[in-house]
Amino acid sequence: MEQSGEHLIPVERATVWRSLNDPVVLARCISGCQSMEQLADDRFAATVKARVGPVRATFEVALTLTDIHPPESYVLQVEVKGKAAGFGKGLAEVALAEAEDGTTLLRYSVAGRVGGKLAQIGARLIDSAARKMADDFFSALHEALDPAADRQQSANPS
Amino acid sequence: MHPFNYHKPSTLAEAVALHQGAEDPAYLSGGHTLLPTMTQRLAAPSDLIDLEGLTELIGIAVDNGTLSIGAFTRHAEVAASTEVQSALPALAELAEGIGDAQVRNRGTIGGSLANSDPAADYPAAVLALNAVIHTDRRQIPADGYFRGLFETALEADEVITRVDFAIPSRAAYEKFPNPASRYATVGVMVADFNGTVRVGVTGAGPCACRADAFEAALSARFDPAALDDAELPAIDFNSDLHASAEYRVHLVRVMAQRATARLASL
Repeated sequence: MEQSGEHLIPVERATVWRSLNDPVVLARCISGCQSMEQLADDRFAATVKARVGPVRATFEVALTLTDIHPPESYVLQVEVKGKAAGFGKGLAEVALAEAEDGTTLLRYSVAGRVGGKLAQIGARLIDSAARKMADDFFSALHEALDPAADRQQSANPS
Repeated sequence: MHPFNYHKPSTLAEAVALHQGAEDPAYLSGGHTLLPTMTQRLAAPSDLIDLEGLTELIGIAVDNGTLSIGAFTRHAEVAASTEVQSALPALAELAEGIGDAQVRNRGTIGGSLANSDPAADYPAAVLALNAVIHTDRRQIPADGYFRGLFETALEADEVITRVDFAIPSRAAYEKFPNPASRYATVGVMVADFNGTVRVGVTGAGPCACRADAFEAALSARFDPAALDDAELPAIDFNSDLHASAEYRVHLVRVMAQRATARLASL
C-alpha cells in the first residue's frame, strides 16, 4: 500500500509544524480517535475506533517521530495493533514547504503493510480505506487550523 | 463471535426504536457482508436488528413508468421476476450476475445499497436509472445518495424501504467481474430515456458515480465510437490487488462501449 498527496494550508509553516506535534490537534484530526497520549517528545500512543463500511474495530496505534527537521519535515512510524483484527505497519514522510502569502504546502507519502484478518478480508479495500483516512486527516487538520476554510473544498478528495 | 442481542421486529417503527435504544446496533438484512465481518471479529455490534420480519419491505411492482422494488427483496427474486424481466430486463440481468447463488438467495437490494460497497452492482443501476430511494422518513434521489467509500446519505438508524427505478426506453449493464467474488471490478449501466442517456459506473472509485461526458456523448450520438475520446469521470480510481487504477480507467470505457454496442445492435 503506497500513496501520496499534498494539501495547501492557509497558515504559516511554524503553526502547521506545531500542530503536527501537538497530541490534542492530532487526536482531533484522526477520525475515530478515542485517546491520544504523549509518551515522550517523539512518541505517542493512541486508541482509534476505525469505521470503514461493516468494519468497526478498535486499534492501538503507536506513533514514533524520526528524522525530525523542524519546521520542515519528519518521518512518522506507525504501528497498528487490533486485538483480533490484525496489524499494520507504516511509514509516513511529511514535508512542509513555505508557499505564497504565508501559506504552507504539506506533502506526504505513506507506505505500509497490513497483516492478519484485516488483510484477508479487507485486501481489496485497504488502499481506498487508507486514502480516505489520510484525506480525512488532512482535511480535518486544514479545518482545525483555518476554521474559515471552505468546508466544501476540504471535503473533496485531492 | 462475541455475544450480541438478536431482535426480529415486525414493524418498521419497532426496528427504528430498537436501533435508537441500543448501544452499538446494526441492522441485519441479507447478512452477507455483516456476518462474515462479525465472524472475523472486525465488527462486534451489541444488537443485531433483523429486518426479515418486515414483510412491508418485500415486493415488486410496476406502475406508470416506474419499477418499485421493496428493500428486503432478494437478488434472486429480482432476477427471477417476470415483471422485472419485461419492464427492465437489464436490472434482472444485473441481479442474476451478483455474487453466487448463496449471495443472491440471501442478499437484498436495500442491504446492498445501505452498505454501498464500492464494487457492488446495484449502485450503477440506481444512478443510471435515476432511482429514488425511499426510507422510513424520506425520499432520497439517486444523485444525492452515494457520498464516498461505504458512505451514503442515510442516517445511522435510517432504513431503506423501497427503491423506485425509472423505466428507460432501453438499458444494458456490462461488468468485468472478479472471477472469484464476481464483484464488479468495473460495471457500467447505460440507460437511454428517449434520447437522454444516463451512465452509472461502479467498481471504479470509492463509490458509484455517473459518467457525465459519456452521457453527453451518447445523448448526441448513440454509438460506441462516440465514447472513444469522451472524458472519464473525475474520481480517484481504485487500485487493489485485483486491478490497478490504470486498468480500471481502461475498463470503464470498454464496459460502457460494450453496453452501448449491445443496445445499438438491437
